[in-house]
Parts: sequence; C-alpha cells; structure tokens
Amino acid sequence: MNTLNTFMFVAFPYVAMITFVIGTAIRYRQTGFKVSSLSSQFLEGKKLFWGVMPFHIGLLIVLGGHLLAFLVPAAILAWNGQPVRLIILEVTAVTFGMSILVGLVGLLHRRLTNERIKAVTTRMDIAIELLLLAQVVLGCWVALGFRWGSSWFAADLSPYLWSLFKLSPETAAVFALPVVIKLHIFGAFLILFMVPFTRLVHIFVAPLHYISRPYQQVMWNWNKDRIRDPKTPWSPTRPKNN
Amino acid sequence: MRRNTATLLTLPVGAVALAIAIGGLLLPRAAAAQDGEKLFKTTCAACHSIGGGRLVGPDLQGVTERRTKEWLHQFIPASQKMVKDGDPTAVELFAEYNNIPMPDQPLTAVQVDAILGYVQASGAPPAADGGGGEAAPEPTPAPVEPPATPEQIQLGQDLFTGETRLAHGGPSCISCHDVTNDAIIGGGILARELTTVFGRLGGNGVRAILGSPPFPVMQAAYEDRSLEEAEVVALVSFLEQVSSEQSNHLPRDTGLKLAASGAVGTVLLLLLYSLIWGNRKRGSVNQAIYDRQVDSI
Repeated sequence: MNTLNTFMFVAFPYVAMITFVIGTAIRYRQTGFKVSSLSSQFLEGKKLFWGVMPFHIGLLIVLGGHLLAFLVPAAILAWNGQPVRLIILEVTAVTFGMSILVGLVGLLHRRLTNERIKAVTTRMDIAIELLLLAQVVLGCWVALGFRWGSSWFAADLSPYLWSLFKLSPETAAVFALPVVIKLHIFGAFLILFMVPFTRLVHIFVAPLHYISRPYQQVMWNWNKDRIRDPKTPWSPTRPKNN
Repeated sequence: MRRNTATLLTLPVGAVALAIAIGGLLLPRAAAAQDGEKLFKTTCAACHSIGGGRLVGPDLQGVTERRTKEWLHQFIPASQKMVKDGDPTAVELFAEYNNIPMPDQPLTAVQVDAILGYVQASGAPPAADGGGGEAAPEPTPAPVEPPATPEQIQLGQDLFTGETRLAHGGPSCISCHDVTNDAIIGGGILARELTTVFGRLGGNGVRAILGSPPFPVMQAAYEDRSLEEAEVVALVSFLEQVSSEQSNHLPRDTGLKLAASGAVGTVLLLLLYSLIWGNRKRGSVNQAIYDRQVDSI
C-alpha cells in the first residue's frame, strides 16, 4: 500500500512533470506544425459551440482556481474566512465544474456520433477525452462529497505540491486522504504526463492574438445578391456535372 | 514521422530513470524521523499518557509488558481491522473506551519500535496490578475550570467558522468539519462530524486533539500553525455547547443545496452564453456554398 502511495504521489508526479516539460519541447521542435488540436469547426459547428464553450470557459476558471489555491493558499483561507464568501466561491466552482462536465459529455457524444468528426478522430483523442471525463467526474465528486475543498486544498494540498517542488515531499496528509481525492490528484498528474502525446498540446498555441487583432475587411468584386440567389447559375452555362 | 514518434516514446523511460534518481536522493530523508520521543508527542500524546492516567485512550505505562510486541505492531497501524477480525483484546479495549476508534497510524515498523522504546524508557516501574487490567492508575484529577462564558462560546463559534481567523493562520474548523447547529453554515465533510465530539471524548480529549492532532491530514494542516491556548479553550467551550444543545437543532442538507445551486448555475451559464454569442455564425463556413450547390442542381 505504501509502495503504491509512494509511486502515485512521489515518483509519478516527477515522471509526469519531467515528461511534460521535455516532451512538449521535443514535440514542438520536431513537429512544430502539428502542435495543435486540429480544429473540426469546419466539419460541424453547432454541437461544437455547446460543447466547447462551457468546457473551455469552465476549465479556465476551475483550473485557475486550483492554481490560485496552490500559489496563494493564505489568500484563499482569508477569503473563505467569511462564510458568505466561502459559499460564493464554492458555488461558483461547482457551477463551472458542472459546466465542464456538460460540455465534455456533449463533445464526446459529438465525436462518437458525427460521421465527419469520426473520420478525423484518432484513438488517442478518445482516450484523452475519457481520461478528462473521469477527472471531471472525480472533481465534481470531490467538490460535493468532500466539501469544503477550497479550504482544505489550501491547508493540505498546497503544502504537498510545494514540497514536491522543493524536492522534499511531505506526503503523510495525502496518503491519508479518501481514495476519491487521491484518484483526482493522480489523475491530474496523469493528464500532465499525457500532454506531449495528445491534442492537449494546443494549450501552448492558443491564438490569443486574435483577441486584439484588428478586423479583417473582406471585399467582394461582384454582386452578392445575384450570387446568393440559388436560381442564378454560377456561370452563364449551368454546370452539368453535379 | 516514425522516427519522431519513437523519440517521443523513449521519453517516459528517460523520465522514469530521472525520477528514480531523484527518489534515491530523497529516500534517506524518510528514515531520519525515528526519534521516539518526538514521534510519541506528535502522534500519540493527544490521546495517551505515560503514567498520567487515561485520556481518550488508555494510559500506556507498562504497555510493552501487558501486550506482546507482535500484537502492538499489528494494533498501532490498523486497530479497527483487528476489532473487525475479532481479536478479543482489541474488541474489549474498543468497548471499554466508548467505541472511539483509534486512527490508523501510518508508521513504519522502525518508527513503532522507536515509540515503544520511548514508552518503555519513560514509564516508571510498571503498574503493580499484575497486568491484564487496564484501569490501574488513578486518573489525574482534571483541573477545576470555571464554566465557559458566553463570550468564550461566541469566540469559539467565530473561530470554528473562520469569522475570527486563527492567530497563526491555520484553516478554520469548518473547512473539514460539520456540526448540527443553526447558528453557522453547513461545515465540511472531509473529516468527522463534531456535534457529539464533546460528549464522546470529553473536554480533555478534545483539548488534547486540538493541541496536537493525531490525524495526518489535520496534522499537516496545522503544521507551524498550531492553535493558541485561548483558542483551544474557546473552541472546546463552543463544542460543549453544540453537544449539549444538539436536540434543539435540525441537521441540514448543505450538500444537496450545493449540488442544486451548481446545476441551476450551469443552466444560467448556458443561457448567458447563448445571449452573448446569439448572433454567432452557425454551421460551418462553407455551409451556404454547399446549400446553394444542392439547390441549384
């Protein structure tokens, strides 16, 4: 048991972090243009919207919350000092957590049922999506079944994570946590480990410059109204071959 | 491409090797903490004394004579398992101490030996009752304390919920513990429910646990952030009041409310997204061209 714990919370985190950093660098150097998630918006757009928006916005907020509790645990504990603020924080976290779940289930359904999407899906895409799904379900379970996670994360897990970075792991608390929380922690490192081998590398190439990019003006050199009329043939002679 | 994949796949192997190397550097640290006295104070002293009478659990003076070494090595890391397996001594002890389970201690055999060595060394000559009985020494009389003032109870409540921060910055009790009391919001459920803790463990037991938590998760949370004496007294008086007033309060369904708020919040979020991106381009970019072609056949 202790050996398994040591593997899950001491050895594997280091394996995951090293693989994440070096692997991503190698992948970018060797196949730079494939560091992407291969957009499928051209193939299917409606379901994509209802999956991608709740998923990504929720993920940015929930992951940001975990990161804050790791970086500034004292500030989170201070914020949670007022019961009202604690409830606001937890309800917000659960809301965005559930929106991730809704979005991810929608995306998985789309990927498994839409013929066009199926044609561009690899086995690794499915694998990583199932891994993420397990992680999100565990996360919601932890939030609801072992509340108030924001406080005890700051008190117990932040010191553990810092101790990993200081190369002197303090694991007594993590070893004693309920198995659901342990799986959620291990899942996080497993996802980190998988980043260089999957479409998750796209986090490094998010097109952030699009946000501040000036509008592109498109000019058409023909009469759009005529072209849009389905009765209008594309050329004076109607095409015969379709 | 094949070469690239191969390079990528060799990476985990390298990473494992590196991690093992790091692990090798770290391992000697684990063996360092074998100081029996220090271990006893951090792990056992909350519930056990050596010759000071029973606290939450038995007085450990002479325990190494009363029990065999094998029994102790089995009991300390997994006492509840022994109770469930029907070990007669374990079952008897469990009943005698009000069915309060001893938390499993994640100690190595070497650490257990260090603690037992300390217990043996610091206990005066073993109790003269010939062994067997647990009730040997008279409990030290608890100091007579003045009853808690309303201010103390209020301070205890504020410390419990976090409205008054603990002086050394530790997390408030509500992070992990719940009590049935209408005056405060529903507490955490990572750790034990504390409504009846005062009745079960008594003031001394609660004070001992707050002074030096024997549970690893609680220990880590309050490492370098231990509670002050006045805080412990206030919290104990609050828990005493909670315990005595429990019949006036109804249990709450905080978990259900949290889940429901999350579900409602998710629906509201989806509505918000549809408002913000209501006039987005639906369908793919070439949808219009595709439709036009189909129509013009």
